Amino acid sequence: MAVVTVSNVSKRFGRVRAVEDVSFEVFPGEIFGILGPNGAGKTTTIRMMMSIFEQDGGTITLFGEPFREEHKQRIGYMPEERGLYKDQKLEPTLVFLATLKGLDDKTARARLEPWMQRLDLWEHRNKQVQELSKGMQQKAQIIATLIHEPDLVVIDEPFTGLDPVNTRLVKEIFQEQRQAGRAIIMSTHQMHQVEALCNRIVLISRGRSVLYGPVSEIKRNFAGNAIILEGEGTFDQLPGVLDARRENGLWHLSLGAGVSPQEIFRALASNPEVAITHFEVAEPSLEDIFVNVVQEEGGLAPTEGQAAREVEHA
Amino acid sequence: MRNLWLTARYEFLKRVRTRSFLLSTLGVPALIIVVGLIGAISASVGESDLPLGYVDNAGLLDPSLYAEPHLDEMDDRLELIAYEDEAEARAALEAGAVQGYYVVPAGYPQNLQIEAYYLEEMPSGGDFADFVRANLLAEANLPEGASSWLLEGPELTVRDMNSGREMNDDAIGNVILSFIGGFFFFFAVLGSAGFLVQVVADEKENRTMEMLITSMSPFQLIAGKAIGLIGVALTQIALWALSIAVVIVIAARFVDFLAGLTVPWSFLLVFALYFLPAYALIAGMMIAIGSVVTEVQQGQQISGILNLLFIAPFFFLPLILSNPNSPILVFLTLFPTTSFMTVALRWGLGLPTWQIIASWVILVVTAALSIWFAARIFRRGMLRYGQRMEMREVIAALRGAEV
Repeated sequence: MAVVTVSNVSKRFGRVRAVEDVSFEVFPGEIFGILGPNGAGKTTTIRMMMSIFEQDGGTITLFGEPFREEHKQRIGYMPEERGLYKDQKLEPTLVFLATLKGLDDKTARARLEPWMQRLDLWEHRNKQVQELSKGMQQKAQIIATLIHEPDLVVIDEPFTGLDPVNTRLVKEIFQEQRQAGRAIIMSTHQMHQVEALCNRIVLISRGRSVLYGPVSEIKRNFAGNAIILEGEGTFDQLPGVLDARRENGLWHLSLGAGVSPQEIFRALASNPEVAITHFEVAEPSLEDIFVNVVQEEGGLAPTEGQAAREVEHA
Repeated sequence: MRNLWLTARYEFLKRVRTRSFLLSTLGVPALIIVVGLIGAISASVGESDLPLGYVDNAGLLDPSLYAEPHLDEMDDRLELIAYEDEAEARAALEAGAVQGYYVVPAGYPQNLQIEAYYLEEMPSGGDFADFVRANLLAEANLPEGASSWLLEGPELTVRDMNSGREMNDDAIGNVILSFIGGFFFFFAVLGSAGFLVQVVADEKENRTMEMLITSMSPFQLIAGKAIGLIGVALTQIALWALSIAVVIVIAARFVDFLAGLTVPWSFLLVFALYFLPAYALIAGMMIAIGSVVTEVQQGQQISGILNLLFIAPFFFLPLILSNPNSPILVFLTLFPTTSFMTVALRWGLGLPTWQIIASWVILVVTAALSIWFAARIFRRGMLRYGQRMEMREVIAALRGAEV
């Protein structure tokens, strides 16, 4: 049974259409990514799931039923706009937040110590929050999100402010949470983290769901939409090429929808002004897919009335 | 409900541990106790208990009349010593045997002039004046008991026909006590409710709001914080009341009218009834302000202006004392933001019962509306980080419409 089911959900703020007909499901034991450019409607979608906003249309169910106040105890939520009481000490603040999620004082303290030890915060437990670095505060918020062992974790930009060592540590923690059977919804712009962690994603652009499904399947479907070239010449003016960039002497070309690598190959072969020494059909990165799809859908260069492309959940 | 109480406890402990709370809560009573004790001690130390001397050149004064029971406070009265002439009295004064002496001229009471002599502190003339009056009345050959009636004077009791309350000399202390009590009570409420602006704006500024409202309902969050702050106000009031009681108990040994004070139960009952709606009214306004602004400082500026609506009755103090039933005071009694304080200030000076009931009903209805409006504005403004709500948005929130 899906932990979260979002079906054809819409939300308007006055004349602004924030979310339009978005649907997805999240299952236990998976990390699900909600992606999209700034202002795409990700946070609004998450806030509707959390019942902070009420949707204008569509339905949302949590744990197989419409939202109930009791569900809050089963959810760990780390919002985009987050913080802790700056003038309060760290440990009592985290104990307070844990008790709000249903733990008693004693259990909260008992669970807090190993978490703080693991995230190198134990020695700072009696410091005021404002004395901690941004990364430390971020780790403290991750503890506040997970300490009550929620069935559903919703976490927005979890790696902001973390150094590589702590980023790796937090990734390990998320993977452990997934193995423990929890459903994790993650919203981030860091595509390499999504690729490394997420089982499935939904890409929202201009309020609409434009891509939805398992990461591996999406990448497979988009294979052939990118080419790696080595050679001399100008490649960004080729018909059907959305984006061309040079990295380490190699050209990476992103192709538009419906443009095959063969067409590009033929175009290059017939062009006397270019010399090719290497031609490779590349599996695109999630970032390439993100940029291409969002551009096509008008999220970065607005166009109207483009249909969502959805890959059904396997 | 559990989260409501957890929030209340957290908010209470957070506030009572701050330096400003400790200063205002313990500092004010400490000041009251210190000032009260200094006043009482200086009153007792300042009054010399040395005898008073007198020289009776008129041959009028009969020492036995000084022992008459109608001259009140027999135990506290100073001893009077008669001297034959001024030289003898002066020598006694210079020897420190008396604190001063009076000279009654020959021919008194035709000219009604008596002279007093002293070296450092002017003696209190009350006891000697009573002694002279008693002798003059004895000369008049009045019927038995008449001297006592004249010396003691009437005991006036004023009855308010509207409210049925009465006031006499013994009750004046209670009127003052009600006045002081109401003053502290009100400022504790205004102060703690004023914290709500800070609390709401703080949650937005610290970006904790979204985490909290996904752990409990917005109602639980706000109600928990309001209850925590009520606890802060009650703690303050209790400590202040305790310190006032301590001062009164100690000072009553030195100041006579304080000994006649009783607990003003009717006043306390009325204010217990006013407490919640008054708090809710202020709290609603402060929550709304906290929801609209982006920073604590902005909220405090607006609430500072709003506070004028609540303290306005103080500007009418002279009118309250001279004409407590004037139309403008009736208006202030009925107007919701000023009713609480005006009732406190008019209490004991003649406040009709209908005005108390009407002002309470108006206050309750307004407080309910205030909370209702605040809830709507809070829901709209709680996630407005770094962006102030505009007036049209506030109006839209009240109408339940989108902007």
